[in-house]
Amino acid sequence: MHDNLPVPDIATLRIAVFAGMAEIAGRRHIELPWDGGTVADARRLVRAAYPALTALLDRSAFAVGSRYVGDDAAIVVGDDVAMIPPVSGG
Amino acid sequence: MATHPAECADDPPGGIVIQRTPIDTATLLAAVADVAAGGNVLFVGTARGVTDGVITKSLAYEAHEPLARKTLEALRLQALARFSLTACGIVHRLGPVAAGEASVAIAASAPHRREAFAAAEWLMERIKADVPIWKSEERDDGGRVWVHPVATARPGGAA
Repeated sequence: MHDNLPVPDIATLRIAVFAGMAEIAGRRHIELPWDGGTVADARRLVRAAYPALTALLDRSAFAVGSRYVGDDAAIVVGDDVAMIPPVSGG
Repeated sequence: MATHPAECADDPPGGIVIQRTPIDTATLLAAVADVAAGGNVLFVGTARGVTDGVITKSLAYEAHEPLARKTLEALRLQALARFSLTACGIVHRLGPVAAGEASVAIAASAPHRREAFAAAEWLMERIKADVPIWKSEERDDGGRVWVHPVATARPGGAA
């Protein structure tokens, strides 16, 4: 590799996790290498990186910012992404 | 009461409050009172001390707060229109809630009682399905468990 070539930024997607998912993951945010994609792509990466989350992940919604999004929604680095497992408020 | 600032001047009384302090239900009910309202329903959800025979000492709630607020605001507006309410207020508590204390309160006012009852029940059902708030139960034996009900749909409905 040529010394003058810039080192590419390793883009990281940060996803907030809550409640039982945070307990299982042992953290409140998880980070994934990300070069673009959809919520469905993020699901695959989360499942691969945190197999223990699979059961809740399959029953979780995704949110970007303060809105729920479907599996075909695009996610870019810097988005405020969260996984929303089945809720139990009230 | 620390009501959320109304987005528009003619927003009916009530609003959405997410707080870590005890819920003052009398203040909430007073906030939705109106001479045009003949039916005023106050629903108070309290932390249950016994579930399936297991003692629960306390609950602790956490939320995705921006999404919870936005979802609650949307549900409130839907309820105001759907049930022709004169006012509607929702308060949800976060953090530790001792058994017997209120975790959620809904006040709905309408010209007639039927709509007020229906609105409070509809809102509770929607809150339990779509608002990103979670409870953990602290058991009497020291164990603590997050509650993630097995639902037919993911939170957020159609999204």
